[in-house]
Formats: sequence, structure tokens, C-alpha cells
Amino acid sequence: MADSNLSHAERIQSSLAKRYRAEKHFKFYGAAAIAFGLLCVVLLFTDIISKGYKAFGQTYIQLEVTYDASTLGITDVNDSQQIVLADFHGVVKTALKSRFVDVSGRKAKRDLYGLISHGAGYTLRDRLVANPKLLNQTETLWLVADDDIDTYYKSIDSDAGAFVGRMSEQRQGWVDQLAQSDDVKMRLNRNFFTQGDSREPELAGIRGAAMGSLFTLIITIALSFPIGVAAAVYLEEFAPQNRWTDLIEVNINNLAAVPSIIFGLLGLAIFINFFHVPRSVPVVGGLVLTLMTLPTIIISSRAAIKAVPPSIRDAAIGVGASPMQVVLHHVLPLAMPGMLTGAIIGMAQALGETAPLLMIGMVAFIVDIPGGFTDPSTVLPVQIFLWADSPERAFMEKTSAAIMVLLAFLIFMNTLAVILRKRLERRW
Amino acid sequence: MVNKMVTNISAKMPTGLVQSKKEKMEETAYPEDTIGTPLLEGSKMSMRNVDVFYGDKQAIFNVNVDVGQNEVIAMIGPSGCGKSTFLRSINRMNDTVESCRVTGQLTLDGEDIYSAQMDPVALRARVGMVFQKPNPFPKTIYDNVAYGPRLHGLASRRAELDEIVEISLTRAGLWAEAKDRLDQPGTGLSGGQQQRLCIARAIAISPEVILMDEPCSALDPIATAKIEELIAELSQNYTIAIVTHSMQQAARVSHRTAYFHLGRLVEVNETEKVFTAPEHQLTEAYITGRFG
Repeated sequence: MADSNLSHAERIQSSLAKRYRAEKHFKFYGAAAIAFGLLCVVLLFTDIISKGYKAFGQTYIQLEVTYDASTLGITDVNDSQQIVLADFHGVVKTALKSRFVDVSGRKAKRDLYGLISHGAGYTLRDRLVANPKLLNQTETLWLVADDDIDTYYKSIDSDAGAFVGRMSEQRQGWVDQLAQSDDVKMRLNRNFFTQGDSREPELAGIRGAAMGSLFTLIITIALSFPIGVAAAVYLEEFAPQNRWTDLIEVNINNLAAVPSIIFGLLGLAIFINFFHVPRSVPVVGGLVLTLMTLPTIIISSRAAIKAVPPSIRDAAIGVGASPMQVVLHHVLPLAMPGMLTGAIIGMAQALGETAPLLMIGMVAFIVDIPGGFTDPSTVLPVQIFLWADSPERAFMEKTSAAIMVLLAFLIFMNTLAVILRKRLERRW
Repeated sequence: MVNKMVTNISAKMPTGLVQSKKEKMEETAYPEDTIGTPLLEGSKMSMRNVDVFYGDKQAIFNVNVDVGQNEVIAMIGPSGCGKSTFLRSINRMNDTVESCRVTGQLTLDGEDIYSAQMDPVALRARVGMVFQKPNPFPKTIYDNVAYGPRLHGLASRRAELDEIVEISLTRAGLWAEAKDRLDQPGTGLSGGQQQRLCIARAIAISPEVILMDEPCSALDPIATAKIEELIAELSQNYTIAIVTHSMQQAARVSHRTAYFHLGRLVEVNETEKVFTAPEHQLTEAYITGRFG
């Protein structure tokens, strides 16, 4: 040995420095990994928020509108038939024409009428129905601008210059003119939170998808949590240890790794084609996502049950509790925090899942907001996918805004899980 | 130089000891039948030809012993000799171990413990158990004691339950310390208090027999002394079988002592006799500390 003349203490001393150095390096790598992760999260959030926050505002144009009975083509406001057929957009057109009197030519006029969204007609209709006295009266109103105008107006002050897109110079001139007389402004985009999907970006909202997600998740948790916990309890506490249970265990672990689109195909084949559950509805979505989240919940629940100290089981059996009582009184309450964590992880996965839902028709374009478990609906991630696919420039910010809503949904669920766990957790 | 010395020491010391121990054990034959007085007239419990297996491995070999009414019997022996296994087969706690199999006849008041008519849940209400590590439920002190009575429906009114809790805690010597904090978690007590709480929990359902599996091994000497006092008091009302690693404890608390060795019951005698004049060589070797 080269350093055999060193004493014990000296050798320990020299190795100490090396050990501490290794520890320091390890700490550094750990901190670096966390810093990298945080950086990515910050980048992601800044990107999404900087792109999406504008979607929460909407450009409105102020116009003097006259509810002219002859333009509308109605005689009686209380006749719903007439109201349905009434030409409210015609009223908007008249208002625009009187605001910009010098516009002539078919194309120019069409451009002019396009300043205001088609949705404005519905606003007027609602106002008139609510207050029939407005017929033949004039009022000054803020009306939703078209998405091109919206995109242009939002980018008007940006460093890169205004986004023009398909806008003609004439239209830009009109908007600038309106802006000078303070007849254009940004208001909170209430449509985004109260409406379903639409082909018109300025009218499209997230509520339909959010409700669809909510209903789907309710089905998923209502089915997968009890089934998963029951399966885990049976496998851990009651099932004999033999080749069959080994086989089941291996297969549950395999299922957790199966690509989710396979579950979609399974759902299509079984629930829709065989059991004839209607397609595109939260029930079938929830069933498919239940299949997908079950393995996650079973695995984490089993781990939580295994972590319950055997001494507690012994104690309960020792005073004469039946196996069922041991489970209900002691094992389940003690394992509940762990099971909930697993369930929430499963739910978060289900909330973000797109692929299997595409297979069962939840990718459809649905304007109505679902009111129940059997109404056709879509879900948040599918809505994001649909909007990201749309050609209109204005859908870009909607996509980011929808991602923000999805993230908010997730954060809310995780917070709920943490609170529940804190309340259920027991100190030893 | 240094290296050499170290290796020399390690080569010499432990292996030599281990070898001599092994030789000693192999030299001594087991007696055909248990020596001493394992069998009693009019016993509370009796065990005949008991064998216990874990899978293919036999842990208990042909044990015959009786336990008398209101008797405290101590089971001693080196680690792994099967005394805990034997204790746990008395109230069928071993049922929860899947590979475990018990043969032979065990009776409580003449009723076969392992017969089809004997319900394990009912049996455990009659044969209570206190474990090695204090294991109170993560509930309040009150709920810990009240758990058993509630399970078996022993109290119909709250006042009755309160009374059971008070009597049990008093008998377990914990009432004075716990009466003002019944609504606090049992896990917040000290180790010795927790063990007394577990005893209170066991006696709350008024069992006929209490099995204690090394109840003091996780406790300090003062807490141990309290538990030992308690055992002496409890023996007036209950039959107690206690497994212990401490020979002094066996000598202090028990009427009879059973010595187990590698799954065999070697000797059962009056405690005093076991510790002063052991009949079998193995018993003598153990109590004089030649192995343990």
C-alpha cells in the first residue's frame, strides 16, 4: 500500500474532504435540477399568460342604434315568431351607415358592415325583448366588434406594429377614426366565460367545455374512486395470495401503462357500439376515463393500505374486530389521505386527457352549454385542441386563455386535495 | 501493522463464541415429554399436542401445557424459540398469517378453540391481547378504551360506556393521569402510559384470559415496574399468559414459568423452582445466562 505509513486518523481525514466534496456536488445537481424545472414552468406560464390575457378583454364599438320597426320587419314585439325572423343585423348596418355616411360601393359596404360582430344582433334582440318600449326608439350602445377588428385594435399599440391580417386600409381608417372619437374601447370579455363554442372567435366561450369537463370528471370520480378503493381493499386485505392474484396484479400494473387512446377505442367498441350509450356525452367520456384512471387509483390505494402499520390491525383484531370492521374503522381512515392523493393524480390525468375522448366523439363542434350528463359536450383539452386548429388569428389568444382556465381548474383540484389530506391526516 | 492486528481480532473473537454456543446446544438432547408440571387439574385453558407450521417450516413441536384459572404463566426462552407464535395461536391471531397452520387441541373452558363452532371474533373477545409495541389507535383516549365495548355492544347508554371506560382505566392504573385528557389522542401519551392504555383497552371488554406478548420490552424500568404491579393486580380477576425476555420479570410476576427452546416446551414448573432448581440442562443454561 502506498500510504500505509499514514495513521488511521489521517486516512479518515483525507477521505473526509472527498466525501464532503461529493455531497456538495450532489446538492448542486439537485438544486440545478429544481432550478431548471422552475425555469421551464416560469417560461411556460409567461408564454401562456402573455398570449392569453388579451382574450379576457374584448373590443367594443359604440354606435347609435335605432330599433326601426320597418328595418326589423316586425309589428308586434311580443310575437316570438316575428322576433326570431327580425333583421337585427340590418339595424346595426343602418347604424354603421349613418356613422360613416361617405361609404359607397358594394365591397366597401360589406367591409363596413363587418366591423360589428354578428353577435351584436342577439344583444339588440335581447334588449328589445326585455324592454318592448324601445321599438322605434334610439339608444347609444357598445356592441361587440368583429374578431379582425378586435385583433387589430389589441395590437395597435404593440412594438411590432398593429396586426393587419386581412384588414383593408379602409377598415383600418374607420377603426382609427372611431378610436379618435373614443367610440372604441376594451371591455371585459363576458362572452368568454358565459358562452359555448362558436365559429366566430369574438363570440366563442369556454363555458361549454368547462361544464363538459366538470360533468365528465364527476362521472369519473364517482365511478373510479369507489371501484378502485374496493378493488385495492379486496386485493390487499381479503384476496388469497396465489397465482390468480399475481396475474391480476401484473395486469393492473400493465393497464396503467397502456396508451390512453386504446381506452378510447375500447370505450367506442363497448360503451357506444355494444351498449349504445349516446356518443359525445359526459357519461361515455366519464366511463372511458374511469377505465383509464382505475389502475392509478388501485395502485396508489394499495400502497396506502400497505403503509398502515400492522400493529394497528393487530390491535383491532386483538379486541375482537371482524376483518370488515378492521378495514372500515382503521385501515380505510388511515389510508384515506394516500388514497385521495392517488385519486387526485388520476383526476388530474383525466382532466388533461384528449386522445380517448376523440375516439368517442367528444371532439364535435358543440355550441350549446351542456346542462347534464347526457347532453352532447366537449371538454377543456379538446376545446384547446379545436381552437389551436382554427385558422382565425383571434383563436390563438383564445387557445392560451383556455389553457389558463384548464390550469386554474387543475390548481383548484390540487388545492382541494391538499386541504382534504391535511384534514384527514392523523399524527402518530 | 494496524491491518494485521485488526484482522487478528476479528478472526478470533465472535466466531469462537458462536461455535461454543452451538456445540453446547447440539450436545443437549430434548426431553421426550415436557419436564415438570405442565398439566393441571381443572385448568382454564389446555393445549395438547400443539404443532404450528409456517408453510413447510415447523415452528412449534408437540407442546402440551395447561393454564389454571387466575394464574399468571410466564413463557421464556431465547429469541426465535416460538413463544410468541405459541401465544398468538391461543387467540387465533395467527389466522391472519396465511401460511400459518396450527394442529393439535387447544381448549378454553373445555371448548375447542380451533373447532368450526368457535368464532375467532367471539374468541378474541374472551381472550384479550397486549402487544410488544404499544399500539393505541390514533383516536382519543376515551375512544381507544371504548372501542371494544362499542364493537361488541356491551354498553347501551353513554353513561354505561363512561363507566366501563373509567373502570378499565382505573384497573390499568391510568385513570389518575388520563381522566382530565380523555378527549386527547392516545398516541400523545408516553410509552408506558400508552401500554397501560392498551391494557385498559384489552380489559374493557372483560376478557377471561389476557395474553401479553413482551409488554414491557419497549418501556423504561419505571414504566415496566408499573406494568408489573398491574399484572399482579389483574391476576386476581384474569388468567394471564405473558411472554417475556426478562427472566427477572418472569420471576417477579408469574406463578409458573414455561421454558421454550427452538419450538419445544422443555420445562414447566413453579416459577420459584425454575429459577432456583431448574430440572433440565437447557433451562439451567438459559437462566444462568449461557445463551439468550
